[in-house]
Amino acid sequence: MTLLARRGAALAAALMSTALVLTACGGGTAQEPAAPAAATRTVQAGNGAVVVPAAPQRVATIGNTTLPFIDLGGKPIAVTAESDSDVARLPAEQQATYSSATILASSADEVDMEQLAGLKPDLILVQVPESEFESLKAQLTAIAPTVYYSLDAEWKELADGVADAGNVTGALSEQKAEFEQLRTALQQKYRTIIDGTTFVDVTRYSSSDPGTFAIADIGCSEIARDEVGLNLPQAAEGADPLAWTALPFEQIGELSKYDVITYPVDAVGKPTEPFVPVVETNTWKALPEVTSGNAVGVFCPGNNSYGSVIRYLESLDGALATLPARG
Amino acid sequence: MSTGVSERTRSTSRGRVDFGRGVLTVRRGRVAVRLDLRSVVVCLVLALVTAALAVLALMTGSYGLGPGQVVSALAGGQTGLVHEIVVEWRLPRVVAAVMFGAALGVSGAIFQSILRNPLADPGVIGFAQGSYTGALVVLLVVGGTFWKLVGGAVLGGMATAVAVYLLAYRRGVQGFRLIIVGIGVSAVLDSLNVWLILKADLEQALAAAAWRAGSLNGVSWTQVAVGGACALVLLPAAGLSSRPMRQLELGDDAAAAQGVRVSWARLGLVLVGVALTATVTAASGPIAFLSLVAPQIARRLARTTGITLAPAAFVGALLCLSADYLAQHVAPTPLPVGIITVVLGGGYLGWLLFTEARRRL
Amino acid sequence: MTALSVRRGGPGSEVPGPRRRLPGVRLLGLVVALVALAVLLVLSVMVGSTAIAPSVVWDALVRSGSGIDWFAVRDYRLPRTVVGLVVGVALGLSGALIQALTRNPLADPGLLGVHAGASFAVTVAVGLFGVREVHGYLWFAFAGALVVTLMVLALGSTRQGSSPVFMVLAGLCVGAVLGGARDALQLTDPAAFDMLRTWSAGSTAGRPLEVVWPVLPFFAVALVLAVAVSGSLNAMALGDETAVAQGVRLLRTRVLAILALTLLAGGATAIAGPIAFVGLMVPHVARWIVGPHQRWIFVYSAVLGPALLLASDILGRVVIRPGEIPVGVVTAFVGAPVLILLARRRKASGL
Repeated sequence: MTLLARRGAALAAALMSTALVLTACGGGTAQEPAAPAAATRTVQAGNGAVVVPAAPQRVATIGNTTLPFIDLGGKPIAVTAESDSDVARLPAEQQATYSSATILASSADEVDMEQLAGLKPDLILVQVPESEFESLKAQLTAIAPTVYYSLDAEWKELADGVADAGNVTGALSEQKAEFEQLRTALQQKYRTIIDGTTFVDVTRYSSSDPGTFAIADIGCSEIARDEVGLNLPQAAEGADPLAWTALPFEQIGELSKYDVITYPVDAVGKPTEPFVPVVETNTWKALPEVTSGNAVGVFCPGNNSYGSVIRYLESLDGALATLPARG
Repeated sequence: MSTGVSERTRSTSRGRVDFGRGVLTVRRGRVAVRLDLRSVVVCLVLALVTAALAVLALMTGSYGLGPGQVVSALAGGQTGLVHEIVVEWRLPRVVAAVMFGAALGVSGAIFQSILRNPLADPGVIGFAQGSYTGALVVLLVVGGTFWKLVGGAVLGGMATAVAVYLLAYRRGVQGFRLIIVGIGVSAVLDSLNVWLILKADLEQALAAAAWRAGSLNGVSWTQVAVGGACALVLLPAAGLSSRPMRQLELGDDAAAAQGVRVSWARLGLVLVGVALTATVTAASGPIAFLSLVAPQIARRLARTTGITLAPAAFVGALLCLSADYLAQHVAPTPLPVGIITVVLGGGYLGWLLFTEARRRL
Repeated sequence: MTALSVRRGGPGSEVPGPRRRLPGVRLLGLVVALVALAVLLVLSVMVGSTAIAPSVVWDALVRSGSGIDWFAVRDYRLPRTVVGLVVGVALGLSGALIQALTRNPLADPGLLGVHAGASFAVTVAVGLFGVREVHGYLWFAFAGALVVTLMVLALGSTRQGSSPVFMVLAGLCVGAVLGGARDALQLTDPAAFDMLRTWSAGSTAGRPLEVVWPVLPFFAVALVLAVAVSGSLNAMALGDETAVAQGVRLLRTRVLAILALTLLAGGATAIAGPIAFVGLMVPHVARWIVGPHQRWIFVYSAVLGPALLLASDILGRVVIRPGEIPVGVVTAFVGAPVLILLARRRKASGL
């Protein structure tokens, strides 16, 4: 190796070792105290027990914690971007809350940590893939107390955790009560339908390849299956969700083996834009469910917070009411 | 130690050889090293520019810090968040960019020399695709943490390189066959990767794609230390093998006549090249195009006839550092460095082609 | 990354000496290939992710009427077969053209930046303009492919006219730069990323025939051009100087050939997304059968291309019922082992 290259390598090594020594001697990752030491709590989260401020004023939400936090009435100062279609389905005041926050990046790994540090948050709520969190953990915890939930966390657990850490438990208990009331009402009102009918929920995403659709066993219909008790298809234990398999339109014909089909509509009841190609096919129009009025549209504003689930259940109520009477 | 510079006007009767270009001879005791003068000057200039850019990179960031704070943080005088930002976030990133850029430059130089093709780069043996497949399998099928991801990526890349080498082996490996088999295996892996990504959850797919682009975001001292340890072993190894590499360029027969064990030398060089790429991929994901472009730029800057390792290393380091700087601070949103290297590298090579094409007959 | 040694000429091919192929053998082979293609066309209509009896298929094709199975055949399988046929012919021919043009058996139509241009244009359409339907981004993709190839042509021209080596290098650069820009756009727009990851797989499913008809005139023009230059390309196989001595106009031939292959590859990518390997494999196999006769290679490529594509499509429909594997994913799995096998033959087939 040339003399200069050797010198360069030596310089790099010296710089590196100096920095390592300084890191060891330096103060470590001590945080600047943002509030009086007394006002803290401990919460249990995906990354263990975390000490958080009792009344956080400046909350940053990264990943899937943004919409649940806003739904519970929280007002984050910094968020990672949500898709335009998701934001459009929020009630007006939630949309305003979202717009007033600083949008850090479109996904967690692109967040500029220095920008986040400059905003001086006192709490960070994170829900991202686990491997992604591992690479972000050191930097996030250096900025502020970080509460993390893995993607496996069930939506109720996430709502509880976010409300607890973010100090918005007041709205949570109201929503929980409303949810319970709605759920039991649905189960009583549609007892016969729930017991005797097979359902299938179909959907199509804006990213789907032309000529494909999917059976949705995750998303809002998961709520219908687990909470209300509708008989919906489910993937085998441990297998990938059915919704991840793109089915060709030829398979629309196979839907005739179910009694009732539910499909996604927007707030005014028209099929959502990605789903329109399915509704326009001859095959769909020839389905027995469609011709007999057993295909109903349900509005799904989201399924990971009580507020959106409540609106879904209301829409489901309306849809089930339109089903023809059964013997 | 005496240093001699041979000038063309001095006659050969003095016992000096006229190489036709400036040459720097360094003698220490009984060992003499002959260095090409222009290469040395180019490397020196590149090193200075890189150092200046490194200082600039340390001073720049969204969290406004004055130069005084940065210098005192480096000297150990700051605590808390400021220290964290300068010493734990910015400094390892700069060191990593320089080191990994150099490693990639050398790796590309080795491959281009062995395959005697200016378009060769470690990707030709399917390493990047294989490492992506390994990473995807860990991310999506096995469900892994960060270090498992790294392990999967390196394993995938190595397995692919070995598979390509074995498939191309037929009483020795010819460049042509290696390239074809590499293309075939890469294409299969590409399709497999497309399929795996299609079947995944959007967040996981995005995370995987970001890894694929090659990013120095959030690189930690641990990663730098591990990568640095590997590089500090491999770079001198590459340096020592530059002589057989130059001899192989003359052709297999000529090299064998000069005493080089051709297939072993080639295998050793491929191993060093692959290991260098694996080191960088493990730390930051595959950073594209650097290994392709750096040796070519180095060759044109230093006006050498063949591929040389040292200028390629320095060009690679500077290119990687500038790409990372641009990716962080100039792009409207922070981007992975791999995207900038592709755009810059491709653009510069395109411009070189354009001017060269105009001059050529 | 592809690495190519583009040869400037000089015979690297097997001289057809004692193994000279009679025209009769070539014709017989062509008939066999056509029969195989016809069988595949029929299979493509009969086989799908739902099981439909052949008699029902026949009824659906010849008689009018309605019913779910009838719609399945007419609305989905028939257009898909037609798209597969058209795209397959386009890809096979464009592959033969570029391999003849660059005198390199490893050349793939995507080399001149067609895939990169189309992907970038589609990303822009989806990310910046919010286009979601095939009809919308079809023209973006076509335009992108054309513009990029013209850029590569311009970049790769020397004083003497365009040189294959420089064009390939230029294609690599432009492709890389556009690829980086495309990745940057995708990473900052998850919706575009989501959509592009399905488009990138390359598929003939769900493309209605309305998408094919507008592109057919371009294919027709390209076909005429390809036939026109086939003779000159034949002469160029032995080197530029020899070709000029035979009266070939180099620059004109190259430009026409590139125009033809861009129209074909660009149109195919615009309709079905980037499908790799068909353009690489098929001319290779064709050359293996007929030897270095450009016109025969073109004809065989035009027949074997759709055969490979339809076979891959059928496989993709059946292997993971009821889901499907996009045809672009299957062609690589089918084609790559064949390519590797070819490379390991003692005499790699040159030009």
